[in-house]
Amino acid sequence: MLLAEPAVAVRGVFRRFGYRWVLRDITMDVAPGEAVLLVGGNGAGKTTLLRVVSGLLRPSKGEVSLGGTVGMVAHHTMMYDALTAHENLTFFARLHGLKIRARIGELLERMGLAHVADERIGTYSRGMLQRLAIARALMPEPRVLLLDEPLTGLDDAASRTVIDVLNALEEQGVAMLIATHQLVELVGTAARVGYMVNGKLAALEQCGGDAGQVVGRYRELVAGG
Amino acid sequence: MGSAATLQAIIAIAGKDLLVERRTKTAFFSSIVFAILVLTILYFARDKTAVGDLDLAPGALWVTFTFAGMLGLNRAFALERENRAMDGVRLTPATPTAIFLGKVVGNLVFVGTVELVSLPVFILFYDVPIWRELPILILVIALATAGFVSVGTLFSAMVVRTRFSEVMLPVLMLPFLFPPVVAAVQLTRGILALRPLSEYSGWLSLLAAFVIIFFTFSLFLFEAILEE
Repeated sequence: MLLAEPAVAVRGVFRRFGYRWVLRDITMDVAPGEAVLLVGGNGAGKTTLLRVVSGLLRPSKGEVSLGGTVGMVAHHTMMYDALTAHENLTFFARLHGLKIRARIGELLERMGLAHVADERIGTYSRGMLQRLAIARALMPEPRVLLLDEPLTGLDDAASRTVIDVLNALEEQGVAMLIATHQLVELVGTAARVGYMVNGKLAALEQCGGDAGQVVGRYRELVAGG
Repeated sequence: MGSAATLQAIIAIAGKDLLVERRTKTAFFSSIVFAILVLTILYFARDKTAVGDLDLAPGALWVTFTFAGMLGLNRAFALERENRAMDGVRLTPATPTAIFLGKVVGNLVFVGTVELVSLPVFILFYDVPIWRELPILILVIALATAGFVSVGTLFSAMVVRTRFSEVMLPVLMLPFLFPPVVAAVQLTRGILALRPLSEYSGWLSLLAAFVIIFFTFSLFLFEAILEE
């Protein structure tokens, strides 16, 4: 059987800030169309791993290779409060060298933001900003999507919209690495779960779709050191 | 990234910076108010019988331009810190060179506009023959502005993550501002005194050399600053 080239290949990645090692010897693959949840406590290294995979941070050691364009949704929107949603997306489309204006309208429609497209995003609620950040990340039609707490601040309806979008992307072959604490909502989306403990990937296992089981396994790994 | 895409990225970044400034207007108005205040204070503070217009005008002009411009430069990367927007830019195919040039173009338009608005106030207060050698004066202003905007853009990116970025920027820039501003003051003095070009062409060469060195130096260092 021919195995597909991984969309994300992380090989022996270490990262330190000053004298503190935040990532220690991380090795993992994510296949096209696969979603991997990253689970871990605060400071476990989830966000740093996503930033290293995205290319925003260089690994101190090791290497990362990606099988295509990367999109990222982080804690911050990575956009400008003084501009409207349409202006923000137009700006990022230009930087991606995209000329398709229709795509901006389509993304805003998909994320339920078309009716506020011409309002400055400084006036948006947290949920609207999060959906707009996802629209920005989807702009270049990424093959790899990195999401750091994608459901933070979203109500049930907005969470459902985002989860539906993520499921659709998975079917389209987009590889996803999702750092989250919201296991109940996202556990059904993922094929595997990576458990991060103190900067190490303590385990990378198949996801049974049960949030309670994932929490139990995480506690077991933390207790085991 | 091809040259057409680089050009598109430069225009997009400069355009976005100017659009944000047009919406907020904070840096522009504070720079203009600062420029008018400095020109006014210097005019009224002097004893006209002891200090002539020609003696004071070059210094007044460059103190105004330099510090008013610095207020704008501070803002250039502050808006990228908001919501970590620069991360979003870095996730696109835009190269560090395109990002730097986009920022420089945006800052040049900003500082150029501040200079353009302050110049009539300068003409109003100081009785100097500005019109006689206007093209060469504009060349000097353009060169010196390009020099300090290049290095200012670099340092603005460097200090934006520090707690006292607004204080740090002038402190770091000062040694680098010294050569182009001194050359610009000397040139402006020569131009306003209607001296022949041959008398101050050495300063002009020096200014041009500093602009080329500063620009190249800033362009090469920008990538490293952007990364971490």
